[in-house]
Amino acid sequence: MSSAGKRRTGRGRREKERRDDGRSSGESTTPSLRQGFWLPPALTLALVLLSFVPRVRASSALTWSFWGAALALLTWQAVLFVRLKREPAGSSLRIALFPHHYVQASMQLVVFVYWGLYWRPVSEFVWLLVAQLVFAYAFSMLLAWSRRETYALGFGPVAIIFSTNLFLWFRDDWFYLQFLLIAVGFLGKEFVQWHRDGRSRHIFNPSGFSLGLFSVLLIATGMTSELTLGEIIASTQGTGPHMYGVLFLVGLVVMYRFSVTLVAGSAAATLFGLSALYTAWTGVPYFVDSEFPAPVFLGLLLLITDPSTSPKEPLGKLVFGGLYGVGVFALYAMLARIGAPLFYDKLLCVPLLNLSVRRIDSTVRFLQDSALWNRWVPDWAPARSNLVHLSLWIVLFGSMTAMGRTDGTHQGDRVPFWLEACDDDRRNACDRVVQIEGVFCADDSGWSCNELGGHYLRGEIVAPDSAQALSWFARACRLRFQAGCVNLLEPGTFSRTVPKVLDLRLLLREGGQDLTEMSEPELYARACEHGWTFACDRVGRP
Amino acid sequence: MNHVKGAPERSISRVGLTALIALVSIAAVGMYMGPSSSAATSGTGSASASPVGPQQVAGFRSDAWYLPDTELLGFVEISEGPFLMGGDVTTDPQALDHERWSAASAQGMVNVPTFYLGRSEVTVAQFRAFVEATGFAADVRVFQAPPEYPVRPISWTDALAYSRWLQSEMEASPSTPPVLRELFGEGWRVTLPSEAEWEKAARGADGRLYPWGNEPRADRANFGETGTMPVASFDCSECPYPVFDMSGNVWEWTRSPYEPYPYDASDDRESLEADALWVIRGGSYQDSARELRAASRAAAGPGVRRPFIGFRVAISRF
Repeated sequence: MSSAGKRRTGRGRREKERRDDGRSSGESTTPSLRQGFWLPPALTLALVLLSFVPRVRASSALTWSFWGAALALLTWQAVLFVRLKREPAGSSLRIALFPHHYVQASMQLVVFVYWGLYWRPVSEFVWLLVAQLVFAYAFSMLLAWSRRETYALGFGPVAIIFSTNLFLWFRDDWFYLQFLLIAVGFLGKEFVQWHRDGRSRHIFNPSGFSLGLFSVLLIATGMTSELTLGEIIASTQGTGPHMYGVLFLVGLVVMYRFSVTLVAGSAAATLFGLSALYTAWTGVPYFVDSEFPAPVFLGLLLLITDPSTSPKEPLGKLVFGGLYGVGVFALYAMLARIGAPLFYDKLLCVPLLNLSVRRIDSTVRFLQDSALWNRWVPDWAPARSNLVHLSLWIVLFGSMTAMGRTDGTHQGDRVPFWLEACDDDRRNACDRVVQIEGVFCADDSGWSCNELGGHYLRGEIVAPDSAQALSWFARACRLRFQAGCVNLLEPGTFSRTVPKVLDLRLLLREGGQDLTEMSEPELYARACEHGWTFACDRVGRP
Repeated sequence: MNHVKGAPERSISRVGLTALIALVSIAAVGMYMGPSSSAATSGTGSASASPVGPQQVAGFRSDAWYLPDTELLGFVEISEGPFLMGGDVTTDPQALDHERWSAASAQGMVNVPTFYLGRSEVTVAQFRAFVEATGFAADVRVFQAPPEYPVRPISWTDALAYSRWLQSEMEASPSTPPVLRELFGEGWRVTLPSEAEWEKAARGADGRLYPWGNEPRADRANFGETGTMPVASFDCSECPYPVFDMSGNVWEWTRSPYEPYPYDASDDRESLEADALWVIRGGSYQDSARELRAASRAAAGPGVRRPFIGFRVAISRF
């Protein structure tokens, strides 16, 4: 195809996207402000009513967060009401059901449901999720009307709330920050804009923007684990069996429907490739639980595939995804180096990538105008191209799964493997020992907490820190790991023992398997296969 | 969305950006302030004590960690010697199976080396001094009672954290009595009493059932009630040692893991593969006379915080 033809195709696609994003598709208009203005008070009332749900009443801080959010909305409504009485506005809201909102929200819901099947706090979180949705709708309505705009009532807020909550929850005592997180996302979408393709568009993916910003704040204050469940979310998202398969299938729907295969596929391929190179170089995996963790997989499917904040052209998408992969890979190492929680790797680079979109677009257009490009790039229609990209992605993911690089057997989450690698002085292996034991300790493995305490007491693979050591021993003890208690009683000495059955159910869950029902003999046999020599003795294996 | 062109739009954008910056700033300040500013609002979370400044509590020294105003800051010497440990159903009909020494003998003679025991349970004021000094994340309920009441609910790990802190403070302070400083120099530690130490301090060497004799007495202990009382509220001139509330008020943590008798001090370092369960002694305000007996024993997980469990400290060598 000639460059002119290509540009025509690009224009046609942009026009179609404008229709999808504009007001001519899937929408109707409600005529007057009075007909819509009852919605925010109703939503505010709903938020207040939700504060009486037992789950919310269980924490006074949580209840106050709800009331604070409701009061803020109410105040805003009062101010707006007075202003609109003085300066009447025109139409108030229209129904706008965009596929990229409701399809995305549906897929996110599938992930929530599947994750919730294997991690109970998700179901306990439902009321808090509903409250955020209520708040988000009220907030976005008031925001639109304050800007004298017509509110587009659709599934946009659902996609933003789900996308945010798949990565970060604030603890009950700090839930007001969750409302702030959402508010910041919507304000960023409305007020941080630039001109792109002849239109004013938001620069940042709304959830990616607020998540990125709050991630920086949390890292700077060092309060991640005190204030949020971010680390626990990241460590539990892979707990369901075949989680990668579920994410893959969910991703296929999004990729097929919105032609974002190149973005997600190139990000995944980059991560697979970089991980493989690292392993070939060092002999140890880069990430601990797979070639790249399930939450990162989720991140590349949700955070960088927003059509409004990612490049339009295929090559741009390819570059954009690749940069995300490189960004996550680099951030993982950087976060480890500064001692920050590693789950931020998938969040921090999203706003930076959003900022690079116009540059990528212009570079890609320049390249597409070159004769070399037109000679080598096949002249396919967008739909056909996407099918080809999808096929390649399916082959890539299938191959990686067949090789156990996704949620199959992966030595990266085996503690004995890292202990041995640490003894062998392999690159970063001792850091990984501390990291992986920290993850298991956070998941309530008393053995892991006690071992961590031992590392800080002895100072062989981390800098000695007796206060840290006592803190880990205390956690081990509270988890009823007796050696931890004895270490508390006798500071300066280190008592240790082999993992208990409860520990093994956590330590051996490789690939996110649920081992709570596994019999003890089977558990010990599995432990033996994972390299736990004491378990081999118990099952009579060499 | 419909954009209204011109100055109003710029004005709205400025307001919006200002709101965005304000919200992010609020979030930053909220995160920076951290858990120390908030926990008191939570019914289930943890808390740091709010600074209250020096406060006088009668009978306690505000300049010495609110310990009792005695020569040894409330520590009472319990001299080395044997005592009869365990419950014998022939002399004590309320004795339970797990108090029996062995199949052959209902009770056993145990020699306990000299140690020093706090004469009263650790109080709210004492624990507040610890939390204020360290920022320790205690349960919010610990500060609900007046300063002279026993601190509760306390977990085993909370109690040990307090003990460690008190030792480091006493070792560093010139106001620590020379006798105690000398002990620390010889390797003695502020810790929880062992089960044997506790029982010996409660019943002495004559095998009595209660600290004051063989019959329960409501004028000697707080039990069968709905709440705690200030520490050392009951006189106990009949008790073998000048220590208060060994029976009643709150159960007290010991440093002994829960093991079947016969008691063996070395058990403390064995059975590492068993689930941790630590002995509590003395019964509480809500218990009957049966739990108040000196031989009565119960156990709890080291992480649990219950409103009827507190502790007292000992200075011991182990």
